[in-house]
Amino acid sequence: MDVYLDGRPLTADESPSRVRWLAWGKTIVLLGLGIYFISTIVSGNLNNYINLRFAWLSYLAAGLFLLLGAFSLVTALRPPQRAPFAGDPTHVQAGWGIIAIIAVPLVLGTLIPSQPLGVDAVGGIDITGSAAQVSAGNAATTFTINPLDRNVLDWLRVFNQTADPAALNGEPVDVIGFVYVEPGYPDNQFMTARFTISCCVADANAIGLPVQWADAPALAQGQWVRVTGTMQTGEFQGKSTPIVVADHIELIEQPKNPYLYP
Amino acid sequence: MISQRPPLARRLLIALVVLALIAATLAAIVTSPRDPATLLSIFTTRFLGIFIEAVPFLLLGALASGLIDAFVRPDDIARLIPRNAVGGTLVGGVLGFLFPVCECGVVPVVRRLYTKGLPVSVGVAFLLAAPVINPVVLVSTYVAFGFGPVLVGRFVITYVVAVIVGLVFAVAARPRDVLRPSASVMLRGVPAGGSSEAVEADLGLPTLAPPAKRTFRAGLRNAIGTATDDFFDMGRYLVIGSLLAAAMQTFIPQEALTALGSGPVTSVLVMQALAFLLSVCSTVDAFLALAFVNTFTPGSILAFLTFGPMVDIKSTLMFAGVFRPRVVFYLIALPFLLTLLIGIWINFNVPL
Repeated sequence: MDVYLDGRPLTADESPSRVRWLAWGKTIVLLGLGIYFISTIVSGNLNNYINLRFAWLSYLAAGLFLLLGAFSLVTALRPPQRAPFAGDPTHVQAGWGIIAIIAVPLVLGTLIPSQPLGVDAVGGIDITGSAAQVSAGNAATTFTINPLDRNVLDWLRVFNQTADPAALNGEPVDVIGFVYVEPGYPDNQFMTARFTISCCVADANAIGLPVQWADAPALAQGQWVRVTGTMQTGEFQGKSTPIVVADHIELIEQPKNPYLYP
Repeated sequence: MISQRPPLARRLLIALVVLALIAATLAAIVTSPRDPATLLSIFTTRFLGIFIEAVPFLLLGALASGLIDAFVRPDDIARLIPRNAVGGTLVGGVLGFLFPVCECGVVPVVRRLYTKGLPVSVGVAFLLAAPVINPVVLVSTYVAFGFGPVLVGRFVITYVVAVIVGLVFAVAARPRDVLRPSASVMLRGVPAGGSSEAVEADLGLPTLAPPAKRTFRAGLRNAIGTATDDFFDMGRYLVIGSLLAAAMQTFIPQEALTALGSGPVTSVLVMQALAFLLSVCSTVDAFLALAFVNTFTPGSILAFLTFGPMVDIKSTLMFAGVFRPRVVFYLIALPFLLTLLIGIWINFNVPL
């Protein structure tokens, strides 16, 4: 016997069992994404993906996913005697293909261990500090920061604002970053590199501070280090630039929040 | 009407894009000197970064359009617009602030507005501007780019282009000249008898349930249901777009991208084509654009952010269902040419 809805026979696509199974599929994906967001927030892994200035958006997303998921659950549990939302005909009802696509972030987020961008993601990025994110921001206040409190980004901003780099000679330096070396670098030099992100990792930029350290070849690529020393005008890759002459290099763990926010 | 399947051509296109993506990714992994596990980890981080930052706006946009679908009648919009074509067009361009709809929601609203006797130019300006000029996109563009030339440029260019195209139609067309024959029969029918819903039903057009008869609770339920459907429908474009952007950043050498993205003319064309093909919702496309800011010209980024919301695969299919073929052509060609020219002009004249 045909099933009728609004005086019209249902097509195969509208059969109550298919609609119901699809409702379950949507429920699982929506609730799954809600739980994924909550676990990412709670575990602190949110650090790896976005600028925490916008963490509130993720709280909002978690709440909305749970709301839509709960609603979808009610729909799935209710006997499907009427079709869901015969409203605007331009709204496409999701089939299994669409549900599978929306499940991709859930699957990748669950199966692949959460990692921040590291040294392997630097590949070919301009690391000299001419990037827009460095020049943006309030450069004038960077000078008022105690040299010992300046991070890699602050130092690059100071460089950009200083007409005579020699003026910085002798200033004390205490920065952290990961070791980055390209094949052309001299034996006694490396970069203390950081990623800056303004919004999320899509706009990540690698920036770095050149460091002079006799034992540089002993440092592993990507190793997080704390560099203390003094600023001296020197030559890096054929260009005259301020260089950190390191007194001491301490191997450290990757910080909880590995990025700098311009 | 409940379970509309996308046309075969569109499904094939999506399948092709996904397959090409997978093939390119595999090729890149095999040829790269870096370890596949590391590459996969970097790729996943970049993909999830875009997705996590963008998806709240997709949800908000879907919820907003669900609420509008349930509670706002096109009559309310029609009442706000001046009948004068020029004044109406100027107002039509900013109406999205009151009725935030993205490019998927705007076409049916405009079609209904035409049945209320709205001037063609006003509908066109609203159609082209509303996907960008609305609060959700304002916030998402701000989050992605901060307050600056990209945010301001996006809104100004969209408004200017929408009003210009609207005014072109004001000079050149009356409603029955722009809508498909079935829809213009409907237009003539409106004054003669009954509600536009009845006319739509008579003509065998999909009927929109009249929202006025719903209780608040039923309306809310309907809004959340519509929002869920919208989320799944638009979410797939976000997921595919984010996968593509992350793959591009991870697997394609920076130099190759810079070569493609530094030409003042070619970069704009490439980003326009990308915006058209990706069809990513206007509420979240700013986050995809971020993936290109380091390698592509400013003009091309702005072309992506202004042309994409007006014209993409999704909206073209919807235009084709409502407007005459000639009008569909102009609705695509005029925004394309205007954003192309503005993008190139920016590349040559504005240091960003």
